[in-house]
Amino acid sequence: MRNYLRQFGDKSFTAISGLSVLLLTAALLLVLGPLLWRGVGAMVFQSTIEFRRMQYERYGRGNFESLKADLAKVDKIRQKVFTLIDDFSAGIDVESFRKRTKRVYRQFKVQLRNRVKNGTLTEKQAALLEKVGKKIRNRLLQAYETTNADEAIRNLDFVLTHAHDRLLTQLSSGQFFDLAREYRRVVSAVDLTRREEYLESLKEVKRIVKELLGPRRDEPIPALAQFQYGATRWDRAQQLLDRLLWKEQWVQQQSGMPLRKIRIRRAEQFAGTELARLFPLMEQNLEKMLLPRWTFYWQYFIDDSTPGHFFGGVGPEVLGTLLLTLLSMVVAVPLGITAAGYLAECTSDNQFVRVIRTCINTLAGVPSIVFGLFGLAFFVLYLLPKLGLPRGSSILAGALTLAVLVLPVVIRASEEAIKAVPQSYKEASLALGAGKFRTFISITLPAAAPGILTGIILSISRAAGETAPILFTAAVAVGPIPETITQPTRTLSYGSYDIAVGDRLAAQVPHQQYGMVMTLIILVLVLNLTAIIIRGRLEAKLRGQ
Amino acid sequence: MTLGQIPVIDATETRQLHEFHSVLPKHTESVEPRPTNPVIIFEDFCLYYGSKVGVRNITMNIYPRAVTAIIGPSGCGKSTFLRSINRMNDLIPHVKVTGRLLVNGQNIYDKRINLINLRQQVGMVFQTPNPFPKSIYDNVAFGPRLQGIRKRSRLDEIVERCLRDAALWDEVKDELNKSALALSGGQQQRLCIARALATGPKILLMDEPCSALDPVATGRIEELIHKLKSDYTIVIVTHNMQQAARVSDWTAFFCMGELIEYGLTRDIFTNPKKKQTEDYITGRFG
Repeated sequence: MRNYLRQFGDKSFTAISGLSVLLLTAALLLVLGPLLWRGVGAMVFQSTIEFRRMQYERYGRGNFESLKADLAKVDKIRQKVFTLIDDFSAGIDVESFRKRTKRVYRQFKVQLRNRVKNGTLTEKQAALLEKVGKKIRNRLLQAYETTNADEAIRNLDFVLTHAHDRLLTQLSSGQFFDLAREYRRVVSAVDLTRREEYLESLKEVKRIVKELLGPRRDEPIPALAQFQYGATRWDRAQQLLDRLLWKEQWVQQQSGMPLRKIRIRRAEQFAGTELARLFPLMEQNLEKMLLPRWTFYWQYFIDDSTPGHFFGGVGPEVLGTLLLTLLSMVVAVPLGITAAGYLAECTSDNQFVRVIRTCINTLAGVPSIVFGLFGLAFFVLYLLPKLGLPRGSSILAGALTLAVLVLPVVIRASEEAIKAVPQSYKEASLALGAGKFRTFISITLPAAAPGILTGIILSISRAAGETAPILFTAAVAVGPIPETITQPTRTLSYGSYDIAVGDRLAAQVPHQQYGMVMTLIILVLVLNLTAIIIRGRLEAKLRGQ
Repeated sequence: MTLGQIPVIDATETRQLHEFHSVLPKHTESVEPRPTNPVIIFEDFCLYYGSKVGVRNITMNIYPRAVTAIIGPSGCGKSTFLRSINRMNDLIPHVKVTGRLLVNGQNIYDKRINLINLRQQVGMVFQTPNPFPKSIYDNVAFGPRLQGIRKRSRLDEIVERCLRDAALWDEVKDELNKSALALSGGQQQRLCIARALATGPKILLMDEPCSALDPVATGRIEELIHKLKSDYTIVIVTHNMQQAARVSDWTAFFCMGELIEYGLTRDIFTNPKKKQTEDYITGRFG
């Protein structure tokens, strides 16, 4: 019976530990799998013609001739869209009518004054004409204002009664009648009662189309890089198309109930207008307008990006993260090993050492934001300016802060590793006449190297991924690629944080966020793998293989 | 530790006194070791670990070009005695020394002594083979490199000579770059001896060098000790009394940190003057 129990215990132990390993693997796959999968989407995706245009213009990649031919092809179809929108918005956008009318009236007044000066008109005539002009102007404005079609037509007709006045048509006031005629066409074509609604929706349509197709060729190039190109990714283009085809609205169906989101077809909203033709046109021809094509954008890891990460890759972020991590290791590792050597070899276990060790252990558990604030106060604002370096965040300050952050880990791992070196090695070395220092350098350290490397591996992962310590000391969201270590840099960790907190940025460039996280994971993995391979070799050497 | 706690000596090692006559080395009869100028002199030497006694009131001469065996029950101060000759006890905190210990006429517990020179003159081989996790070559060359010898040809020469002296050359000459840890236990111990020889010592301390080895490897080490005797002064601590009888010219019996009896090996094993010595040798200890 007891034997049976013992066997049962053994088996359940095996089962439980095996299960926990399985759970761990599953959790890892669940967390990392989708993350990496989505991250890969930053590199492998269906790119549009806008992407190729961006690549050509910004990075000089691609074939100019074929790009030009493709652009000519898509422009032909795009032109239809633009014409449709322009025609419709001319009718619906009263604001432009109003502005034009006011401008005409101003010109009219100036002309009158000039004529009086030349003597072609008398003061009296001019005053009369100005009065008529003002009346016409007000009637026109009233016509624009009203949502009642009859009233608008009445006003317009009133204006048009003056259309045969030779004096008025000769002056710039003649344009009043053109405006009136134009607006009459609009009134007959558009349901004025829904004008406000149209106007709002139209604005959105225009914005989405611009985001999809980019600025028109005849427009001046926008200053913000973000607006210089349309949708570079097919998946993003399809999202935008969906937003173009469907309008989202929050409605309260019953009083007291929470608002619910409903989707309305824009085509229905614009039913009966010219613009209704736009939506099937876009839906059917989007592919022809953007020419999606599968791309492997491996330059993602080295390309610079436009502010806000709308276009381009994560090159500067990779560089910054690497610089910060390696520099912090350069600072932390020698310091940590020396400190560990002192703790392990040079002192006996007295009160002082115990206090130091407690401090180190406590330091290892201090939240990273505390280190960030310490780095800001000490390195950025005090130490580096004292040394004559520019005040402000810099790679150096960030690396020093990260070094302080990982120092406890390095010290602890190194101390354990040094303590684990067999005493017999040290004895043998001392018995051969080596001093303490020589023994430490040529016998203890090589034998402890694998353990020390374990500490370094942990530190690298920590330093590369930390955001809080570099928040105030080294990182910027937008900035040039640093030339020296006294300049701040972009980093992967801070970049993904910035996209996440940025205003609607995460929704606009989700692939960039996933891409950065994936790059960070790959980077840490590569750094760790290198260290692990070195450790494996050292261990094999120590084992005598 | 009281005597009652001393582990019972293995049955194979408990021999009657007369049995040792047969294993006594032949040469001791033909070449009588004569007391010449002693190379190590203990004068009323005491060593304390804090308040605990390591060894007490040792007065003893160790003669050159001979093997001196130190025997005695566990915890009797054998290793302390041995380690005081190259000051390896310094590693242990709170060690206090009184009396004098002269090596080559110099008191090595003098403040002015150069520890590094001393340890290069007094080589040491430890209980368990402890080669460094480096190549065979680097193990042997470690000492010479410490002395500042950098020239490859000179190092090659030293390595070969020491490995030959340690009777290891023929086994490893083709794989000097192989890790020392890949060698067998006996080979490792001979490598450690070669490593100790490479610093050019006059004196070789061996702290139970065969206790971790099988009988064949033990035999080879003993053979080696025999051979080295002509050039070096060897002090060896051993638990195995047959070994002491086989390899040594002089034997010192320690008990409770005190030197009980010291003399020619033949005399100690055949005609011990003290009752304690006889009891220990015959296995009737206590």
